[in-house]
Amino acid sequence: MTTNTAAPDQTREDRPAPGRERTQWTRAVRFVLSERVALLSVLLVVVVAWFWFLGQNDYLVAPYDADYLASALETMVPLCLLGLAEFIVIVSGRGGIDLSVGSIVSLSGMALGFMVGEWGWPVIPALALTVLIGGILGAINGVLVAYLGFPALIATLATYYAYGSLALLSNDKAPISTKPIQDLHSLTRALDLPVVPDLPLQVLTFLVPTVVVVWLLVNRTTFGRRLYAIGTNDVAARFANIDVRQTRFRAYLAAGLLSGVVAVVTVAQFASARPDAGSVGNGMALPAITIAVLGGVAISGGLGRVAGVVVAALLVVWLNAGILLAYEGSDGSQVQLFALGAVLVLSALLNAVTLRRRGGAR
Amino acid sequence: MTGLAQAAPLRRRRPVARAVEGQELALVAVIALLWLALSVGTDTFLTGSNLRNIVFGVAAVAIIGIGMTPIIVTGGIDVSVGSMVAVVMVVVAKLIRDSGVSAPLAVAVAVGLGLALGCVNGLLVSLGGIHPIIVTFGMLNVFRFVALRIFDSKQVTGVPDTLAWFGGGQAGRGLLGIPNAWWLAMVLAALMWCYMRYWATGRHWYAIGNDATAARLAGIKVRQRTVAAYALTGALVGLAGCVLIGSGGLVQQNAGTGLELQVIAAVVIGGTSILGGRGTVLGTLLGALLVGTVTSAITLLGWRSELTELFIGLFILVAVGVDLVRERRRSAR
Repeated sequence: MTTNTAAPDQTREDRPAPGRERTQWTRAVRFVLSERVALLSVLLVVVVAWFWFLGQNDYLVAPYDADYLASALETMVPLCLLGLAEFIVIVSGRGGIDLSVGSIVSLSGMALGFMVGEWGWPVIPALALTVLIGGILGAINGVLVAYLGFPALIATLATYYAYGSLALLSNDKAPISTKPIQDLHSLTRALDLPVVPDLPLQVLTFLVPTVVVVWLLVNRTTFGRRLYAIGTNDVAARFANIDVRQTRFRAYLAAGLLSGVVAVVTVAQFASARPDAGSVGNGMALPAITIAVLGGVAISGGLGRVAGVVVAALLVVWLNAGILLAYEGSDGSQVQLFALGAVLVLSALLNAVTLRRRGGAR
Repeated sequence: MTGLAQAAPLRRRRPVARAVEGQELALVAVIALLWLALSVGTDTFLTGSNLRNIVFGVAAVAIIGIGMTPIIVTGGIDVSVGSMVAVVMVVVAKLIRDSGVSAPLAVAVAVGLGLALGCVNGLLVSLGGIHPIIVTFGMLNVFRFVALRIFDSKQVTGVPDTLAWFGGGQAGRGLLGIPNAWWLAMVLAALMWCYMRYWATGRHWYAIGNDATAARLAGIKVRQRTVAAYALTGALVGLAGCVLIGSGGLVQQNAGTGLELQVIAAVVIGGTSILGGRGTVLGTLLGALLVGTVTSAITLLGWRSELTELFIGLFILVAVGVDLVRERRRSAR
C-alpha cells in the first residue's frame, strides 16, 4: 500500500574507486550518513557548541550552560517517551501511527486527577492505575487496528477525537488542582546533586527506567524480534508462524502504557490535571512523530532504533532551548515551529535518500 | 481469520464505479433520518436561518475536502491544510485592509498563494520520495511559522467586508437563500465528480491509489498527477480562506487550527478509503454535511458541545467499519 511514487528503481551505481588518500574521509562521511545515531550525535555536538559559542559572545539573553541544559531536560521527558511510543507503533508496520497519544495523555491524566485529587486514593496505586488506563486506551486502538483491520491513521484519528472529548467532558473542561494533586509536584522537583548539574527528578525516576525497559523490550525479547518482523513483512512474518495480530496489538498497547506514564509526568509537572494537557497547540502527537522520524524510524515500518529516538529527542530539546534564548518574546516559539518542521522534512528526505542508496539507515 | 490476512496484498480490482455507491446512499439515509428526527424533536431545526448556518459552517471544510478526496484517493494525505488556510487568510486579510484590493484580485491572490503552497507539498511528496504524512506534518509547522510571522504577533482586526459574497451574512446569500459558499462547494464538487469519473486524467488518480507501480508501467505520469492533486487542494484552500474571511472583521492567529482533521474526517466519513483507490467527492460533501448536522443538533438539543468530537470519532469508526466489511465481502466473492 505504499504511496511512494518515487523514482524508478535506481540500480546501485558502481562508483569509480576514489583516490586512496580520500578513502578514510569518504568512509567517515558514509558512516555518519548511514548511521543515524552517529549523524544525530554530530548534529547534537554542533548545536550545543554553536549555542554555547553564541552565549559566550553575549548573543543570548541568558547563559547557555550546563545548568540550563539540565533544566531543559524537563521538557524532554514527555517528548522522548511519546517518541518511543510512536517508534514502537511505526516499527510495527502497515501504516502504523498513533495520532491519539495526546488525547490518551489528557484522559488518563484526568483519571489520575479524579483518583488522587477528588477521591483521595493513595498515590502509588493511583499512579499505577493511571498507566494502566493509558494501556487500556492504547489497547482499544490495538483492537481496532490489529484485530478489526482499521487503517491505523483512521482508527487513531477517531480515538483522538473520542478520548479528547471524554477528557473535556469528564470535569466540564475544568482542570483538577486540589491539594493532593499539587503535592504530586514533588515528583518532578529539581534534584540538588553534587558535581553534575541539577537534574529534574523525573529524568531519573521516569525517563531513564522507561527507556531501559523499552530498549530491553525491543532488543532482548521475542516480542521485539517479532515487532521488527511484522514491520518488515507482514506476510513473511505470518509464514514464520508469528501471531501478527497479537504482536501488532501489543505495539499499540505499549504505546498506550507509555502515554499513561507521560500523563503521570505531565500532571506532576503542572501540579494540575488538565483536560487539554495533550492537545494544546498542535498536540503531542506531532512532535512525537517528528522525534521518531528524526531518530531514523522509517515510516514504512521495520526500521528504527531506541538510541536514535533518544538522541533525536535530546537534539530537539536542546535546539529548542537554545532558540528560546536567541530570540526575544514570542519569536522564539515561532522559530521553534519552523525548526521542528524543517528538521522533520529534511530528516525524512535524508531517510529516503539513504534508504535508496544504501538499503536503509540503520 | 480472514481479516488481516487478505487486507493488504489481495485487494480485488473492482468493476467501474457505479453512479452512486452504497456508502453515499447510506449517508443520505442517515442525514435524512437525522433531519427528520430533529425537525420533529426541536422547533428551531427546520428554519431557514439554522439550515443556512449548518451549510455555511461546513462550506470551508467541504471545499477543501473536494481537493483532499483526490489526494486520499491517490493514497496520500495532506495534514497541512489548516496552516495553509492560516497563511492565505492573513495575507489576504492584510491586503484587503491595508491596500484595499478589490474582491476579484483578493480571490486571485488567495487561490494563487494556495496553489503555490500546495505545489510545495506536491513536489516534496513526488520528487522527494517522502511519505506524504511526514511531508505535510512538517509543512504544517513551517506554514504556521510563516503565518505567524506575517501576523507579527497581532491578530488582524477591522478587515473590510470586501469578500462578503463568500461570507455568512446577508450579502453572502445566493440563489434560494442558500449561502454562496455552499453553492460554490456544490458546483465545485459536481465538476470534480465529473472529472474524476469521466476524464482519463481523473481516473489516473484511482489507478495510482490502487497500485502506483502498475500505474507507472501503464504509462500514467504518476509524479505529475500527484503534484496536481496537492496543487489543486492548495487552490481550494485559497477559496476556503476567502469563505472564512468572508464576513470580514477579525482574523485570529489560531485560524485554521485543527481544520485538517475535520477535512479528513469528512472525506473518510464520505466513504473514501484511506488506503487509496476508492472514493468520490459526493461522499465528501455528504460527510461534511453530516458533521455539520450533528454539530448543530448538539447545540439545539442543549447537549455539551464537547460531545461533537465524540460523535465525529464514532462516525469515523462506523463509516470505516462498514467499508471494511463491504471490502471483505467483495474480496470473498
